[in-house]
Amino acid sequence: MSGVTRASSAKVRLRGLLSQTDNRTCADCGAPDPKWASANIGVFLCLKCCGVHRSLGTHISKVLSVALDEWSDEEIEAMIEVGGNSAANSIYESYRPEGFKKPGPNATNDERRRFIMAKYEQQEFVKPSLRITSGRNSYSSSCVQSNLSGKILDTILSTSSHKSDGMVEFIGLLKVKVVKGINLAIRDMMTSDPYVLLTLGQQTAQTTVKSSDLNPVWNEDLMLSVPNNYKSVKLEVYDHDTFSADDIMGEAEIDIQPLITSAMSYGDPQMFGNMQIGKWLKSNDNALMEDSIVNIVDGRVIQEVSLQLQNVESGEIYLEVEWLSLDQ
Amino acid sequence: MGIVFTRMFSSLFGNKEARILVLGLDNAGKTTILYRLQMGEVVSTIPTIGFNVETVQYNNIKFQVWDLGGQTSIRPYWRCYFPNTQAIIYVVDSSDTDRIGIAKEEFHAILEEDELKGAIALIFANKQDLPGALDAAAVTDALELHKLKNRQWAIFKTCAVKGEGLFEGMDWLSNTLKAGGG
Repeated sequence: MSGVTRASSAKVRLRGLLSQTDNRTCADCGAPDPKWASANIGVFLCLKCCGVHRSLGTHISKVLSVALDEWSDEEIEAMIEVGGNSAANSIYESYRPEGFKKPGPNATNDERRRFIMAKYEQQEFVKPSLRITSGRNSYSSSCVQSNLSGKILDTILSTSSHKSDGMVEFIGLLKVKVVKGINLAIRDMMTSDPYVLLTLGQQTAQTTVKSSDLNPVWNEDLMLSVPNNYKSVKLEVYDHDTFSADDIMGEAEIDIQPLITSAMSYGDPQMFGNMQIGKWLKSNDNALMEDSIVNIVDGRVIQEVSLQLQNVESGEIYLEVEWLSLDQ
Repeated sequence: MGIVFTRMFSSLFGNKEARILVLGLDNAGKTTILYRLQMGEVVSTIPTIGFNVETVQYNNIKFQVWDLGGQTSIRPYWRCYFPNTQAIIYVVDSSDTDRIGIAKEEFHAILEEDELKGAIALIFANKQDLPGALDAAAVTDALELHKLKNRQWAIFKTCAVKGEGLFEGMDWLSNTLKAGGG
């Protein structure tokens, strides 16, 4: 799977284009701060208009996120060649009738959809002589499609309802390196076969089982995705049993808020040298053995956590937690 | 339709909810499919910068269906949801021929993950209504499905906005899970 996006020089040029005045509002509805783009049409779009563009098919509009997608150099060059929203609109809206109102930032989805389909699919506002020759889609083929799409549109409009309320947004990834355990509890005759289980919401991740080891060294990375309404991470240690249910060997809660809040307030950690940016304080209510410091180390946000396992006779767990922000 | 059984798994499938992940590149139609299955309606969607999760009851099986965002930088998040998954629904925009190679790479990368070793794979060759859409055979070739080893899979042509093909796929999914796959 592709890794987390890195900034390249082409990406910097794309961001430069995005910061151009006419690109600070959506090309279709004028909403501020667009973060999406149609790479083949060459316009920057707000989230709602991008939703409509996506429904047209990639033969009409190829939608990419400025921040969340990897762009090829050719796609970025094409955007730069078009020159931004004003230049694109001077083609796609040059024959927009006087008095014809574009949808505004608060337009309904239906209003948006009608305008965007007329503008790009039917190309109703393009200079008539350009319609036939205009590069990306020959008009004859898009004309045939528009009939078909029109029929689909009717079914969509008659039944459509908005569904985005249910979406849970990601804000970043938590990479938890389970380093080691010390003096873990005995659950078999003389020893235990421990593994660590992490739970965040409905996600779980676990380490391998270390057989007959009360001071296991894992050094294993576990990944958890963090939604915007995150809660604390639950850590449990179990003794693996082949023939019966695994026995619990203690637990602890990890409060990830200090890490995430401090990381968010600093922004891109690569802009900073090594420094301390936050702290999760030891208290009677948590399992920390000492204050846990959030540091920027070589451009990464890292927190070392040492936990005294709870509800068990003994055991300590050492973690190194890294925060990977999803920048939009 | 091109159903190929490559191996029968012998795991038991009881009355519990089956956990299904809907994966695929951005704008393949994953969210539209989720809500078409759940509500029987076409919804207008925006890009999923996270996930949607819904329970869908079909053929006496309760499916907990996770629709995860497909943007490049969301794809690394998919693996957080792999544990305890019985089936993958992999959605492809059959008309986006430029990116079908990327769709193939992501699909094969997912299936290499240990945690998905036992999961069955249902492929939806979606957006059949759009011009230039590849048919099921062409998508099978493009995704190199014949290279899959030790995996039960099936591919169906779908058009999520018209609701075509989805339930044929869900029939295969529920029958295969009941028969012990996944």
